Amino acid sequence: MSDTIPQPGALSPTAPPRGVLPGRRDGRLSPDDRLPQLASALVGGALLTLGLRRGRLGGVAMALAGGGLLFRGTRSEPEPHVRKHGITVRTLRRQRGQGAQVELTVLQRSLTINGAPDALYRRWLEAETLNQVMGHFADVTSPRAGQQHWKVPGVFGKVLEWDAKVVEEHPGELLRWESVGGTELPNEGWVRFRRAPRDWGTEVTLRLVFDPPGGVVGEKAVKLLGAVPAALALKALKRFKSLVETGEIPTTRPNPAAREGGYAS
Amino acid sequence: MRALCWNGINDLGVETVGDPRIVNPHDAILHVTMSTTCGSDLHFIDGYIPTMRKGDVIGHEFMGEVVETGPAVKEVRVGDRVVVPSFICCGSCWYCEHDLWSLCDNTNPKGELQEPLLGYQTAGIYGYTHAFGGYAGAHAQYVRVPHADTDCFKVPDGVRDEQALFLSDAAPTGYMGADFCDLQPGQTVAVWGCGGVGLMAQKAAFLLGAERVIGIDRFPERLKLAREKVGAETISYEEVDSVLDVLKELTGGRGPDACIDAVGMEAHGTGVGYAYERAKQALRLHTDRGQALRQAVLACRKGGTLSVLGVYGLMDAFPMGAIMNKGLTVRSAQQHGQKYLPRLMEHVVKGELDPSFLATHRFSLEDAPRAYELFKKKQDGCVRAVFLPN
Repeated sequence: MSDTIPQPGALSPTAPPRGVLPGRRDGRLSPDDRLPQLASALVGGALLTLGLRRGRLGGVAMALAGGGLLFRGTRSEPEPHVRKHGITVRTLRRQRGQGAQVELTVLQRSLTINGAPDALYRRWLEAETLNQVMGHFADVTSPRAGQQHWKVPGVFGKVLEWDAKVVEEHPGELLRWESVGGTELPNEGWVRFRRAPRDWGTEVTLRLVFDPPGGVVGEKAVKLLGAVPAALALKALKRFKSLVETGEIPTTRPNPAAREGGYAS
Repeated sequence: MRALCWNGINDLGVETVGDPRIVNPHDAILHVTMSTTCGSDLHFIDGYIPTMRKGDVIGHEFMGEVVETGPAVKEVRVGDRVVVPSFICCGSCWYCEHDLWSLCDNTNPKGELQEPLLGYQTAGIYGYTHAFGGYAGAHAQYVRVPHADTDCFKVPDGVRDEQALFLSDAAPTGYMGADFCDLQPGQTVAVWGCGGVGLMAQKAAFLLGAERVIGIDRFPERLKLAREKVGAETISYEEVDSVLDVLKELTGGRGPDACIDAVGMEAHGTGVGYAYERAKQALRLHTDRGQALRQAVLACRKGGTLSVLGVYGLMDAFPMGAIMNKGLTVRSAQQHGQKYLPRLMEHVVKGELDPSFLATHRFSLEDAPRAYELFKKKQDGCVRAVFLPN
């Protein structure tokens, strides 16, 4: 963690130390705690194997589910109110106002990209970049510098929209934005650029935080993002990386195939 | 256009599909002049590698003529006769820049399918499952080649199609396997498998300075090719009690300095161990039969190198103890074709390498399902079936 960059927002970008349970400083699990983990790991392993032998995409979904369970099964829950979906992908249940519970979805991923931090920062700011990088889940337009309009085609034909503005800029290092005005799904995000060791280029970290209002409406809003919001941040980084390194984003659309009228992806 | 498609486990068919188009700026479209079967195709045809979808166009070892280029293609020109490595590589990520081409970061649009099993994504491959990108394959009249300037290699005029074709995969894969062995003069290399890749590994071992090369297989015609076309000594594992004992006798009790596995997850073997593994694999309790690899681990001399070219998924009973206690160096990769192709082409031009003997059979694309059957069952001495899609 760089000491020179002020950490944006109230949320710490570092995950809480892993394996430490409240009231159990050594981070060890009692045998009673371990049992469900072991079961989860075993079921995960079985799903992984079953998924693999299916030989179809459904099989992979199963293998993925299995992998997820394996992952969860081998790590302890750091805090009772944090449901971990990955190292840095968290849904926090938070008390708000009159005791209403809300879910805060935090997606954070890092990827190493060829290029200097300055150059990557400038590329991120280019008008078309954000739209291309987020193209797998959102249309992002930039009416003027420092402002964005996000449009997410959610599930069930519902569209989520919000305006965002840049609220923090550290050229070559960090850029942070926040949604403004009324939206069903208030959110914020930041992207950070840090020089990687040797000739690796730059470590780019992207964090997206969806912070819906309490109650059923808020929970529904997050669900509109689709089944796997955890993948959104990594996918966005991969797309940015390919765009920067090669000038294009890999795709198989359209791709010749003997289904769906001769083209499929 | 017409294309060979995977319609289900052990179900291939020639279908009419859409023509490929330029999608990204660095793409080229090739008119495929030749493509060939590869043993690794059999793994998903037999259903041991997941993420195929009904109607996927298969085939990853090919050459052709450029008929169209994208706006960002600078060097490749329409009319060029080119051979293309089976792995799609961007040429500009850290891995490509470090000659680790099959690990390219930027060519697998479906990398999330690989991450649960591999931890990280690899490069994409033509016609080889959605986990490897889901790109349409090359057993077709036309194929889209992304990053054309990086991945298309011009074939010089004096080189025939059949000589250039195997520089797409079999030759660089085999050459890489021998290169992994860091061969010193006087050394002996044993190669499990005398198919296209195994024979190329044997040939490459000689080119890289091995004194003796021993090919191991069970098909007399393949062993004959190893002896006659490569100059290797051969062992038919079905005709000896113990491959290990024979290898020891051939090497003064030391064992081969390096062992190359060019077989992979559907190894055939003999005895109780093989029957047990075959049954487990048939019941889909694991994906890999590892007879050849285990034998290679056991046979390799202490401190030697194990070079793994065969394709694997999940293997149990992996003899880590033998690797650890004998201090073996294990090297492995999917082919880094873009690294090796220029020097292989030079060997061909100089007459030091002629892989065309691998092309034992020729078929039209319409006969491709029959060709795969022949290839899979190794009937009629088939080493590689070559298709002429146009």
